[in-house]
Amino acid sequence: MQRLLAFIEQNVHLILFGVLQVVCGFLMFYLNPYQQATFTHSAATITASTNQLTANVTGYLDLKDQNIKLQDQVADQFRNSPVAAFHFLEDTLTIRDSNRVALFDIVPVQVVYNTANKGENIFVINKGSDHGIKRNMGVISSEGVAGIVLTTSARYSSVMSLLNLNLSFTPNINGIEYYIPIKWENKGVNILRVKGINKLEEIAVGDRVKTGSSTVLFPKGIDIGKVAKLTTKPSSQYFDLEIETATDFRKLNYAYVVINKDINSIEALLENVD
Amino acid sequence: MWIRVVYWVLILAFQVLVLNHLDFSAFVIPQVFIILLISMPLGWSKITQVSAAFGLGLLADLFVSAPGIHASACLWLVLLRVGILNTQDIKQQIASKMDYDVKSVGLNSFFYSSVILVFFYHFYIFWIQNIGSLQWSNYVLTSMISSMLAITLIGILQYLTFQHRS
Repeated sequence: MQRLLAFIEQNVHLILFGVLQVVCGFLMFYLNPYQQATFTHSAATITASTNQLTANVTGYLDLKDQNIKLQDQVADQFRNSPVAAFHFLEDTLTIRDSNRVALFDIVPVQVVYNTANKGENIFVINKGSDHGIKRNMGVISSEGVAGIVLTTSARYSSVMSLLNLNLSFTPNINGIEYYIPIKWENKGVNILRVKGINKLEEIAVGDRVKTGSSTVLFPKGIDIGKVAKLTTKPSSQYFDLEIETATDFRKLNYAYVVINKDINSIEALLENVD
Repeated sequence: MWIRVVYWVLILAFQVLVLNHLDFSAFVIPQVFIILLISMPLGWSKITQVSAAFGLGLLADLFVSAPGIHASACLWLVLLRVGILNTQDIKQQIASKMDYDVKSVGLNSFFYSSVILVFFYHFYIFWIQNIGSLQWSNYVLTSMISSMLAITLIGILQYLTFQHRS
């Protein structure tokens, strides 16, 4: 306390200086119109900059919550979209909601582990059997197909990525189903290949490759990727396609597990037919 | 005491009646009255110096209808003066409570302090007067010209005072 008093006593002129400077500041910026206008303008600029900075920081910190909200919104849209439903009575004039039966549901998930540099890439999502996720369910990202659920625990599931040598799909290009597997061959991240498509087929670079009717794990029409390159040998009658995946697996943070609500009855039906 | 008051009034009158109306330019106005602060007696306490600076600054403001500008500049000037004087070997003069002028501390020390303080003062007030729309070339030019003019006039005043005392 004594030291504090001594310090104040030694520097009382500085305290007086500070007080008088405040008085001067008041006089300068309150009684001089020009300085007042400049001060008001500067104060407004600083306030605006501070508000912008605060908004940026708050916005950045809030991004995770916003992503989750967006994911929920996308899930809701998906549930209510025709992609998730079978259409009945499409030839009638009136289509009511009761005529549309939602076949697919989706569960928003976050990717907690991911690889894209191996031959058999997988990623792990933060939901499991407790959330109704089971083996062999499809997984999509906001951009397109991402993989198929491999194993599940109560709270997590591993997903076989599209970038896995063991995974293949039947592509649907320009609305036509091609019963030739589309596979990843570990020759570039995000690049799939389809070999042996007849040259007479009308396929061009940029055409979208989608899921078709030959899978019950995904709704029809989900993007797999787009044709990035067509290669052929002069003597050959066939194309090889390079497909750039719609999902960028190096940036995969959020995904959706697709649940086919009638898969058991559909599979049972198919087994009976076989 | 009375001589000092008369001296202060004369210098202040010279500033507000003559120098403030030179009409060289809107900005070229040498602030010679700050010699009163520069040459304040070394025996004055720091609180007295700060108070005197504030009072003198307010008086100067009254005559230019710009309240606060000279008062603020005078306060800074006194603070800077305290710092400069701390670097000079003038213990004997402080003990004798002499004025800070050419006669007491010598030409070099006085010139060194005055140049710094006068330049600082002019740069500060022209900055405050034009804050927000500062044109750097004009600002530097007018501050330099005003400062050099002020230093010249302060030199003349010091010479006259020196002659008068001797």
